[in-house]
Amino acid sequence: MSAIAMETRAAPRASLLRRLSSQEVLLAIAIVVLALVVGAINPRFLATRNLSDILLGNAYVAVAAIGMSMVIISGNIDISVGALIGVLATISGSMAVAGYSIALAWLVPVLVGIAVMALQGAVIAYLRIPAIVVTLGMLSILKGGLISVTGGKWITDLPDSFHLADIELFDILPMPVLIMVGATILAALWMRYTAQGRAIYATGGNPEAARLCGISPQVTVVMVFALHGLFAGIAALLFATQLKVIQSTVPPNLELTIITAAVVGGVSILGGVGTVIGSTLAAILIAEIASALVFVSISPYWIRAVQGGLILLTEVADIVRRQRRVAGDSR
Amino acid sequence: MTSLAAAPPERRVPRWLARHETLLAAVLIVALAILGALNNRFLTLDNLLNQGRLMTEVGLIALPMTFVIITGGIDLSVGSVVGLCAIALGYSWKNLGFPLPAAIAFAIALGAICGFINGFFITRVKVPPLIMTIATLALYRGFAEGISQAHSVRGYPEWFYFMGQGELFGVPTQLWLLVAAIIIAGVALDRTTFGRSLYAIGANETAARFSGLPVDRIKLLVYTLSGLMAGVSAYVLVSRVTTTRSDMGIGYELDVIAAVVLGGTSIFGGSGTIWGTVVGLVMIQLLKDGLALTGVKGDATIVVIGTVLIASTLLASSLQKRRDVGG
Amino acid sequence: MMKLLMTTVAAAALALTFGASGARAGDKWDGADDLPTNPLACDSSGGGTVAAKPYDGGQPTGAPDKAGKEITLVDVPKLIGIGYFNATSKGMQDAAKELGNVKVTTDGPTEAKIDEQIKFIDNYVTRGVDGVLFAANDPVAIAPVLKKALSKGIHVVGYDANSTPDARQWFVNQAEFNGIGKALIDSLAKEIGEDKGFAIVTSTFTTPNQARWIAEMSAYAAKCHPKLKWLETVEAQEDNVLSFNQATTLINKYGDKLAGLVGMTSVATPASAEAVTKAKLCGKVAVVGLATPNAMKPYVNADCVKSVVLWNPVDLGYAATYVVRAVVDGKLKPGDTSVEAGKLGKLTVVNGSEILLGAPFIFTKANVKDFDF
Repeated sequence: MSAIAMETRAAPRASLLRRLSSQEVLLAIAIVVLALVVGAINPRFLATRNLSDILLGNAYVAVAAIGMSMVIISGNIDISVGALIGVLATISGSMAVAGYSIALAWLVPVLVGIAVMALQGAVIAYLRIPAIVVTLGMLSILKGGLISVTGGKWITDLPDSFHLADIELFDILPMPVLIMVGATILAALWMRYTAQGRAIYATGGNPEAARLCGISPQVTVVMVFALHGLFAGIAALLFATQLKVIQSTVPPNLELTIITAAVVGGVSILGGVGTVIGSTLAAILIAEIASALVFVSISPYWIRAVQGGLILLTEVADIVRRQRRVAGDSR
Repeated sequence: MTSLAAAPPERRVPRWLARHETLLAAVLIVALAILGALNNRFLTLDNLLNQGRLMTEVGLIALPMTFVIITGGIDLSVGSVVGLCAIALGYSWKNLGFPLPAAIAFAIALGAICGFINGFFITRVKVPPLIMTIATLALYRGFAEGISQAHSVRGYPEWFYFMGQGELFGVPTQLWLLVAAIIIAGVALDRTTFGRSLYAIGANETAARFSGLPVDRIKLLVYTLSGLMAGVSAYVLVSRVTTTRSDMGIGYELDVIAAVVLGGTSIFGGSGTIWGTVVGLVMIQLLKDGLALTGVKGDATIVVIGTVLIASTLLASSLQKRRDVGG
Repeated sequence: MMKLLMTTVAAAALALTFGASGARAGDKWDGADDLPTNPLACDSSGGGTVAAKPYDGGQPTGAPDKAGKEITLVDVPKLIGIGYFNATSKGMQDAAKELGNVKVTTDGPTEAKIDEQIKFIDNYVTRGVDGVLFAANDPVAIAPVLKKALSKGIHVVGYDANSTPDARQWFVNQAEFNGIGKALIDSLAKEIGEDKGFAIVTSTFTTPNQARWIAEMSAYAAKCHPKLKWLETVEAQEDNVLSFNQATTLINKYGDKLAGLVGMTSVATPASAEAVTKAKLCGKVAVVGLATPNAMKPYVNADCVKSVVLWNPVDLGYAATYVVRAVVDGKLKPGDTSVEAGKLGKLTVVNGSEILLGAPFIFTKANVKDFDF
């Protein structure tokens, strides 16, 4: 039995589990190891309270990273998501204060998010303007627009029922964690086991080949951006409902953090590789590192350097893995 | 020169007129005229020279960025390199005791090294430029913050401020530097083998490699240049604002890329000119200034710039299509 | 092989970064600008006598005489979009309405970046305004453009965050750095006791005011409350959610050792209060700090926060406007010792060219509902 024949037989039914390359496992190990190391230095790090705070406070990043992963897997990028989240959060809070029903205050921002992102996707796909340009322009429009409209006024006096992030299902499962985990699993399964989901990988990996297989790259890109908008909208809700005030400005560096989570999670801009499970784990790891740095009293000035080093390390390791995979296959 | 046999018989619009850069220049002139009419302080020599002074830092970086983007790459770390070099300038002078000219040289050299590191990982380790420079954006900024520990360095001798705040024959000093850089960059891109090889690499890297071009070496060079110019820009900036801060240069990468893309350089690589970048640079600077002078507030100005960016790329893209179809 | 080497190098670089950051964030603080501190007396003898220094501000050249005539002013704060500067802006509008012959516009960058702020001021100088009001992101970097304004006959008055004295005519100071340091530490010690631990949440270490306040707090605490344990200081920029996360991490890190949180900005304090509320530690961990009343109302009303220290930023903007008007009308000249500021009465001149607003204002449950900013 030749090696080639064995390969051909094994490939088609590759399950989700096999897709979970070493990156996700690496991340999971890193999360646990880091927790143990910091816990040894300061046991309070391992307290349930702290661990759950880390998850709750940053769940919105993980949710947004799901959408961003899809965008990157499809071969594009988006730097407007931070500004969009700021805008959607403001819309949500303003509606709640203005007396609309809470359901509407939660629903409308998500719809707006989908619409705005889908629009960008359409411009990218059909008008063939590069993603970096469109999202750069949109970033400016959203940022300026937000200040223009709100005048920078904070939204206070939010009704108590507004706070989605505070809800605990059955009194133990906090909403943010539930949403984060649920969205990740659903998205991962959808991307692996449905035709539309797999089309994203195909478009990112080789658009020409995808087209020849009957997949429309344009439709896929618009769909990907629309989904990205959906997740950005949900993330915005979690973001907005955490605190009692909404600061109507764009959260600084949010898009960078989200992109970092996606990239460190194993999603490659070369297209076609990565899972959203990786990006969620990466988002958790990043949040854990931020907390760990405070716990071990590392000078906060070095946080950015650590983040950058992390991206670099992940990317180099990814390249090495690809090289090895190619070398191995050609044997 | 197109041969007469190949040229289509009926050409309503001459080729050079339909070029992106020319159209952009036309739009620029119209916009300037309108803004000048709305505010009589806008088109004064004093104001225009001042705007030239203010746009130098971004302008210096936009030149090698054009090279980088033509080769199909990108460099998002330039803002952080500016911050790191600014800190290095101050730190090496104040804390390490370098004589000031040596500190300046050190800062610029450091910029080149940062660019070299980018180029190295991009060409040898094959990390995609977007990801590499996002990583170094965070890494270099982190080093700037860590080394400086939030201390500013001030109190430079008078001669140091000449670059940022002085004038030569009535024109701001740094503007002379920018013009010189533009001329050198323009000539290099248009008239040298180096310049032509950039287009080749951007258009089809594999073909360029097979035709014997030292692709990796050239790419390494453009990224190093990008870092070097960021270092020079840092010197100009520190000289202009008389202090160093670890948050200097934040956001420069987006301003630079906006100018380059607005100027008609395709982000996919393979086309673009220095002239276009200059028009794009001037356009953004004067638009911001003109709008502010007319009374438009900062936030609305940002919206306008964003819209202009998308609209102009749309325009360029549709023109490209028309040229492809008609020619 | 090469790639393996590269990975190792990258890993080593990362480890080096971590190792280099072994410069641990201790409780040592040196103000980040190397200026000396000057702690006040420990008892409640108020602010003490303020030194009389000769006038050290800058002067405009060739300013047109507009005494009694309408003037247009521009206000360029550190950034727009936070409650604090919305409040100062409101104060300016109030003063303008009262005076009747003043027009003020507030415009500025959307992020606290000095380079952007300089460009804004530069544009307005070219445009030709009668006066510039500013709150500087960096005292030295902003000087050249302010001096340019002065040289073009434009009046320059600062508030909240100073520039170098020769770059502006007057600076309206909400309170002395050491006064704020004393007010915060005294409030803190009163609530948590003399020998407990506390932590500080600030915006960034590069913000000059923050650096000065914290330096003064450190000196004053060492002098008058030596048993107070200063645990840590964390940065959270001007971001709500980040401040919340940082405060929560501090609470988790120190557990019972943390008895108080001090918020140094109008963003950090409500976020810290929220962190304490979420952790269900209201009443056990005190929250003291600088903040605007609206953002603090939920916490003050829930008895989670006893008092909020601030000067009244509305008054600050109000006073700054009146100062410019007085300068233009010739009623405030170098060497004067006081100035009339509408409903605020007479304000004293200190330190040569600073105008003191007055004592810090304390918002409590009793009065917080009377304010809307």
